[in-house]
Amino acid sequence: MVRSTKKTAGMEQVFVTACNSHCGGRCLLKVHVKDGVITRVETDDEDEPQFRACFRGRAYRQRVYDPNRLKYPMKRVGERGEGKFERISWDEALDKVAGELRRVKDTYGPASILFLQGGADTGVLQHRDLIERLLGKFGGFQGWWGTASFEGGLFATLASYGTYLSGSTRDDLLNSRLIVMWGWDPVVTVQECNTSWYLTQARERGAKVIAVDPRYTDSAATFADQWIPIIPGTDTAMLVAMAYVMITEELHNKVFLDTYTVGFERFRDYVLGMEDGIPKTPGWAEGITGVPAQTITNLARQYATIKPAALVAGIAPGRTAYGEQYHRAAIALAAMTGNIGVHGGWAGMSWQPRGYGGYPYKVGKRLTGEGNPLEVGAPPRKESFPAQGASASSFRIHCTKVADAILKGKSGGYPADYKLAYVIGTNYVNQYLDTNKIAMALKKLEFIVVQEQVMTAMARFADILLPTCTIMEKNDIAVGGGTPMFGYMRKVIEPLHESRSQFEIANKLAEKLGIKGYNDKTEDEWLREFIKGSDAPDYEEFKRKGRYKVKLSEPYVSFKEQLANVGKKPFPTPSGRIELYSQKLAEMKTPNLPPIPKYVEAWESRRDPLSKKYPLQLITSHPKRRAHTQYETLPWLRELVPQAVLINTHDAQARGIQDGDLVRVFNDRGEMAIKAKVTERIMPGVVDIPQGAWYDPDEKGVDRGGCVNVLTRDEPSPAGSFPSNTGLVQVQKY
Amino acid sequence: MQIGFYLDQTRCTGCYACVVACKDWHDVPAGPASWMRVQTLERGKYPNLFVAFLTLSCLHCAEPACIEVCRSNAIVKRKEDGIVVVDREKCEGKDTCEICRQVCPYEAPQFGAEENAKMQMCNLCLDRLAENKKPICVSACPMRALDAGPMDELIAKYGNLREAAGFEYATSLRPSVIFKPKVEKAVSSVSLKR
Repeated sequence: MVRSTKKTAGMEQVFVTACNSHCGGRCLLKVHVKDGVITRVETDDEDEPQFRACFRGRAYRQRVYDPNRLKYPMKRVGERGEGKFERISWDEALDKVAGELRRVKDTYGPASILFLQGGADTGVLQHRDLIERLLGKFGGFQGWWGTASFEGGLFATLASYGTYLSGSTRDDLLNSRLIVMWGWDPVVTVQECNTSWYLTQARERGAKVIAVDPRYTDSAATFADQWIPIIPGTDTAMLVAMAYVMITEELHNKVFLDTYTVGFERFRDYVLGMEDGIPKTPGWAEGITGVPAQTITNLARQYATIKPAALVAGIAPGRTAYGEQYHRAAIALAAMTGNIGVHGGWAGMSWQPRGYGGYPYKVGKRLTGEGNPLEVGAPPRKESFPAQGASASSFRIHCTKVADAILKGKSGGYPADYKLAYVIGTNYVNQYLDTNKIAMALKKLEFIVVQEQVMTAMARFADILLPTCTIMEKNDIAVGGGTPMFGYMRKVIEPLHESRSQFEIANKLAEKLGIKGYNDKTEDEWLREFIKGSDAPDYEEFKRKGRYKVKLSEPYVSFKEQLANVGKKPFPTPSGRIELYSQKLAEMKTPNLPPIPKYVEAWESRRDPLSKKYPLQLITSHPKRRAHTQYETLPWLRELVPQAVLINTHDAQARGIQDGDLVRVFNDRGEMAIKAKVTERIMPGVVDIPQGAWYDPDEKGVDRGGCVNVLTRDEPSPAGSFPSNTGLVQVQKY
Repeated sequence: MQIGFYLDQTRCTGCYACVVACKDWHDVPAGPASWMRVQTLERGKYPNLFVAFLTLSCLHCAEPACIEVCRSNAIVKRKEDGIVVVDREKCEGKDTCEICRQVCPYEAPQFGAEENAKMQMCNLCLDRLAENKKPICVSACPMRALDAGPMDELIAKYGNLREAAGFEYATSLRPSVIFKPKVEKAVSSVSLKR
């Protein structure tokens, strides 16, 4: 690390900037700079609400000066994936990328160009959208659909409400009298700055907090009055049984259902067993979920009678096979209890993509993609509700199927044979399902270019590496939603080594490719444009202060307007109401994607015959020390939270495993060697390996880096949910 | 006057923001030395558990044991504010001494990984106090679970409870810390039917 020299008064400058890691949060940092070197990082200490950063943000200095930073453009010299590279010039690197793009387009057509993109460090300008724009204007590319994070929640929200914007600002938790944290651990995931801060204040105001989760999380430990452990993948069954209790005890809000929803009767018939002869009683659910019937009954009664109540449907249970049903069922319960569109209620998933405009404040223009010409004219995808503004084209492959598509191409029913991948903002090989298969597939491509800050697992697979700079080395804007804020991500130091901003790289590449009309503004002009169209009063003042905190007269709650204007302000669904029954879903006729929420048993569940061979359920929680795969190499964070497989004492004893032992975790897809953390804080029968540690296979193919996706299966749920929390494994002592 | 700490253990989420903020501010590398430490207490058997976090630095005792035992008089308690500070130039180093660490029940004296490391520990951010700012850990805490200041002011504001889950008040040392303790009762949880 570059160390600060002795501080001299007057020489040190302090800048306010924003942190935009891949955690869903946006916080403020105050960065001390001396002689062009960052010496210290503080956080927001100004007017309330403050945006105090977590330990990842506080460690940013180590991220900037990480010895693993990519210092200059490089080309591969060893085998692909081996990680052997040689320094080249920017000109040579960009000429090679431009040349390969041209060659592949001319030889195989633009559809053979894969665009693999992720949400790492996305600001208003410095964004994957820059490359999407470039490839679109170049002639098109193969894109994907489905977000690894919350596709099930997105689908359910769109199907039920007709919009993905169903969230509330986090301060509205202060109005709740009951908060159910369902598979939600905001202490670790942050998922919007100040979430935990509002939760603790709600608790202190007397709100009852209940956690439903296979793990006794840090959030459960801090906030919850009650912990209800539940078998992973069975959440829908418990929610449906709660509906049974409400219906049979007549606790549901009939006026709300009659006024604002459609299809409750169909759902009721399913719940009561009139459709399939199986009443979805708490006793029925107990056999599936492991949660005692009485506990289910009690929670149903509390959720129906304590008002207002927020059942915050975390997005983790949605990352399972048929996870979309969980989100649909959670929305059905929010409707049955009348907790939609009211302060202190909650309409569905724990987090909403804010989509630059998801909260009630204005935003200006951005430099984004202008579509993919190859998607024009293709019919819409039949299995998906398109997000507003996003393409619903059937010319997309699911994000879990990229490896399969590379390996099979047209012969496997995919739109093209794939030859080139442009990778930005994603550690794809690491973060998508079945890493070993992805690694194999990547070796088949003719060319891979990766834009990255550090030598990640994905970067090792590049043919050309383009080093990008951190948020401290370029200008951009962060937009926070949970507590609304615009943060100026200021260039506080010059780019380190030969790294460049995404904006600069994209512009240079567009120039080399001769793309007309790519961009006509400078970095600063674009940021000015964005602020000009926003609520922030003045760009220069915004830059000077480093942030603009949006002041709302009251907490923002989605669908308040619909509630206040019955009949005049419909929900944006085909029926104008919240669709507990969706005609559109009925017409899709997709197997296991029913028009009402239903419990569908997951593959690789505890009842799967495969559980004889692999008896433990694997979940892949969000890591405390990382934001997904980011921050993995920072010594300050690594020493605090060692990567390990969490295993219950009971399961560990049965295998002769002690805390700290090196163990094998394996199934038919892969194997890893990892340390065991033996704890009472996870259910027996379940193991958890936090996702995001970097894939590092040894000569036998055994992962030594702790990358959980060597064990996950690359099969999306019918509506596109990313089932990273569905899978069976065995654990053995070495 | 005695400056000390307050910890609201019911708010602490064990997030480590204070630990890293402290390491960054004082430029302490990763390694064995950490002026701020978070202990995770896990008690009980599944599913009846009690988990709490205990965040401690040097507690600037009214009667510090470390000063008594230091052979090189490297540790001093400041008269004006009661802050216990170490003069690292004077410290003999851990290869031959480390007695201060052995007598401190709170593991406040810390030593880095380097050869004959000299003692280092929390100084309540003297540089920040001089500018009328709270210590870096306090201003870092996203949960506003930490505070620091003159003990009489802290007591007036938060009460005078001296023990917390996992923390025993050493009457002979009189550590300068008060708590809002997390009460040790298991959450009402339910057994899982297997």
